[in-house]
Amino acid sequence: MNPSVPPSAAEYGGDEVSAIVLDPGFSTTRAGFAGEDTPKSLIPSYYGKYSFEGQEKLIFGDDVFVTPRPGLSIHNPIGRDGIVEDWDMAEKVWEHSFTSRLTGAKPGNPLQNGLNDVADGEFPTEMEGVEAEEKPLADSPLLMSESSWNPTKAREKTIEIAMEKWGTPAFYLARNGVLAAFAAGKASALVVDIGASNISVTPVHDGMILKRGVQHSPLGGDYISSQIRALFKSNAPQPITIIPHYLISSKAAVEAGQPPQAKYKTFPPDRAPDSSYRSLLEERTLSEFKECVVQVWPGPTKLSATGPNGVVNEDMARSSPGRPFEFPDGYNQVFGVDRYRVVESLFDAKAAVPDPDSLFPAPTQAQTVPELIKAALGGVDVDIRPHLLANVVVTGASSLLHGFTDRLNQELMQSYPGPRVRISAPGHISERKFSSWIGGSILASLGTFHQMWISKKEFDEHGPNIVEKRCK
Amino acid sequence: MAAADVRDMLDLPAEGQPRPHKKQKVVEKRPEGITRELFALLGERAPPITINENRYKGRPKWTTKARVRPWQMTPFTNGARSDDLVLRHWQRQPESTTALAIEDAEAEKDQTKQEQVAPIPTEQEYSFAKYNVKARVANRYTADEYNRYLKSDEWTPEETDYLMGLVEEYGLRWVVIADRYDFEPQPVENTETPSTALVPSKRYRTMEQMKARYYFVAASMLALEHPPSDMSDTEFDLHEKMMKFDAERERHRKELAGLQINRTADEVREETILLEELKRITANEQEFVSERRELYSRLDVPISVGNATNYHNSQGLSHLLQTLLQADKSKKRRSLLGPEGIIPTPGGGQTPIPNAPGSARDSSRADTPNASATQPPTTKKAAAAAAANKEAAQQAIRTLTPAEEARYGVQHHDRLAPGVQFRSDRAQKLTQAKSHVQTQKLASALAELEIPLRLVMPTERVVKDFEKLIYSVNLLLDARKVAEKVEGEIRVLESAREDRERKVNEGREKDKPEVKSEQQDDDAPIPSAPVSSDASGAPQAKYAGVGQTISATPSNGPSAGFDLSVGGPEGVSHKRSASVLSNGTDKSSKRQRK
Repeated sequence: MNPSVPPSAAEYGGDEVSAIVLDPGFSTTRAGFAGEDTPKSLIPSYYGKYSFEGQEKLIFGDDVFVTPRPGLSIHNPIGRDGIVEDWDMAEKVWEHSFTSRLTGAKPGNPLQNGLNDVADGEFPTEMEGVEAEEKPLADSPLLMSESSWNPTKAREKTIEIAMEKWGTPAFYLARNGVLAAFAAGKASALVVDIGASNISVTPVHDGMILKRGVQHSPLGGDYISSQIRALFKSNAPQPITIIPHYLISSKAAVEAGQPPQAKYKTFPPDRAPDSSYRSLLEERTLSEFKECVVQVWPGPTKLSATGPNGVVNEDMARSSPGRPFEFPDGYNQVFGVDRYRVVESLFDAKAAVPDPDSLFPAPTQAQTVPELIKAALGGVDVDIRPHLLANVVVTGASSLLHGFTDRLNQELMQSYPGPRVRISAPGHISERKFSSWIGGSILASLGTFHQMWISKKEFDEHGPNIVEKRCK
Repeated sequence: MAAADVRDMLDLPAEGQPRPHKKQKVVEKRPEGITRELFALLGERAPPITINENRYKGRPKWTTKARVRPWQMTPFTNGARSDDLVLRHWQRQPESTTALAIEDAEAEKDQTKQEQVAPIPTEQEYSFAKYNVKARVANRYTADEYNRYLKSDEWTPEETDYLMGLVEEYGLRWVVIADRYDFEPQPVENTETPSTALVPSKRYRTMEQMKARYYFVAASMLALEHPPSDMSDTEFDLHEKMMKFDAERERHRKELAGLQINRTADEVREETILLEELKRITANEQEFVSERRELYSRLDVPISVGNATNYHNSQGLSHLLQTLLQADKSKKRRSLLGPEGIIPTPGGGQTPIPNAPGSARDSSRADTPNASATQPPTTKKAAAAAAANKEAAQQAIRTLTPAEEARYGVQHHDRLAPGVQFRSDRAQKLTQAKSHVQTQKLASALAELEIPLRLVMPTERVVKDFEKLIYSVNLLLDARKVAEKVEGEIRVLESAREDRERKVNEGREKDKPEVKSEQQDDDAPIPSAPVSSDASGAPQAKYAGVGQTISATPSNGPSAGFDLSVGGPEGVSHKRSASVLSNGTDKSSKRQRK
């Protein structure tokens, strides 16, 4: 491998034009240069707002988690259905995602930055480039992703921001389902995306989504969190309250199931951050819980049903060794069958843990993953259904739940015993988490893709509606 | 400090007792890079070992002295774009500009800045522009053409336009087109016809309807462009395909496909069981076939392979001949088997080898999802399909019609003589009779017919006719022999009669002496050449008229066959036949008389 020899274009068809790929999600926003394998910049989509000396201040990026500033409230510009609600803030969050790591601050004019000797009386004469350089994306084409059900208005707004506010020379808006399929190396696939706020099923044919087959429901990662909260409320020895790390000054080890012995930090009411800050940090603990404890009942039958050998599945689950988890305040407990229950409602709506206070209404059967897939397949032509079933791409960070793909496979095999069902779920965590970004990275670095960009000139000519015509 | 100095300082005698010389140990220097233990093993006389020098390598030596060619961010335009969007990518700096660029490094900056402002259009086309291909869609029609050829009750011109636009936009990807199809009829503005106000009602179009419409339009446009008689083959095929699109059948097919994909687990299980069964059956059949083949091979019967297409070339034919020869060799043994033994003719019988692919096809077809949803009939269906396949396979082996057999020169021999022989021998052998005299007679007959003994062009047909001719000549010769014999007898009998008559006459001489003298004058030559003159003169004169009448009405004697044979293909022999015939007619007439 000689680094001085360029790879031949025929080998990988790539031609990198230093495009930036921006993949905004409800929970995190991913940005990076096209052609790389992981996004360089990964920030939460949440932003913090507080007032300091009468001025309103904003916090972006990972900084939101760090300091419990007085009156700090956490917001998300994207609504629960994955559509942007607050465009001003969305623009700022997204801008932060690439300016913080990728484009950075522009170097000033070398004549003026004080590092060079300037002869007296000699001043720069050319100033015409200055205006363009103020825009953050002046020399990078931008590829953005969007959910498959993004309305036309939102799409037009997105291209307006990219073109007018960021000054990108070229822009493209791709569906994240398509990108996830590309990341899996498929032009046609059934993409099952288990995100934070939504789960979506997108049939993709030849690199285009089939709109009539697109299905989505709110049973995403946040819903699972609410299920876990409901579980904690009705926990057996005692209800568990999650106390995030920032409220604990010290803790002592306790036996499993014993009340915690910890010293808590207290904030006076005028110095305390908003409750949204606390729930954001609680969410971090919950995601840790999801990663360590929560498990999907592997099937082949429902958790509430009887297994193939006549034993009730719940008893089977009970007999398997539990998983311990220690909360930030030191309370720890071994979770047995409950760890299966919190996610069972993704497949069986009746198994949902009831919680009247929850943000999420009780799920219906139509919102579960297998039903979504059925509905999605029902919405596409019958000829491509077997092909889609043979190319099910599972993506999204919540799909990393232990045993999720096994269960999904079992469910699909039961619903469709005839055709071959094949699930392709990348094993690498970052590939699962960032698959739509990776697909965008692949797409935007292809030599053949460069004819598809919407250029600034075209945007000026046709207006924002061009995005409907070009990004099909 | 040496010992001498110390002695000097301490005023000791300059040279004390000389120290006993220690045994000088000869220490060979251990070369670097070899361990002590290993060196110790080598002994005193170590073999010469080259040891790699272990030293710092320093900078690698570049194989070429060429300077590194720098990479440069170059702007480019894409030929596949309608606008001239300028994107920039890294490119190797071309050789020629390298030196220049390095010479004035400062000027380079300005240069690149200028490039940014006004990108130099690269001489060569952007390498990825060639992948910008579009599906070929039908020509668009004019309003006039639409009104004349494409009118439909189902489709308005607007909707047809919309459909054609979608087809072009999505490059004939029907799945996507059907997915995105969302035609909203414009409310008609002009209220001239009040009925049109009712028309705009959104209707759901199935993919089949769209396809049918598009194919109809496309085929019509294709036919308008080139009438079907002028079309090239591909165009004609396309036209045919598009014209033959059957939306109803397609819909039915999709219904079945839908049923197929939504089978229950039980149905699937049953199907797999049936498939297993089918596989077992075909495997059994295979086994049976192979066993039978083995049996045949044990019986040393050549296995007939394939169908008649094998024998279309000369190589195949020669192979066939070989096989037939071998078959003939083993005929005796085979005859013991009875009539069931297979006949190794190319077209006939159930040949084992074509069966194998047929059964393989069965199983492969069964593997593909069966369109029928109802399961119980599938067993029968599968079996029936297998049987049908087998029949089809048998029918696939074409039997040659007589015309084809003639064309390909296929012959069916009853039996062939064993051993090597020339085919020309056959023609040669015909002219040789058992006796030398007979052969000469044959030759003379042929010479009379002006047919050479050795045929000029002994093709098969000629030889066949020649064979017939020779057969006839032989018959003729035999007939002549018989005739001569009969004539001889007749003569003997006649002479005997004459004797008797003479005696009677002698008895009557006394009555009519004058008559007798007259008779004697006539018979005068008879005693001198009693047989020959009689044979040549008297009977001919006697029977000439009779013979003529008889030859006109062919009797069932051998002469009939002779007549026919001589009137064969050779026109020459036909003319000559009269003289040859005369003998035959004599003989036949004599027989009649008898």
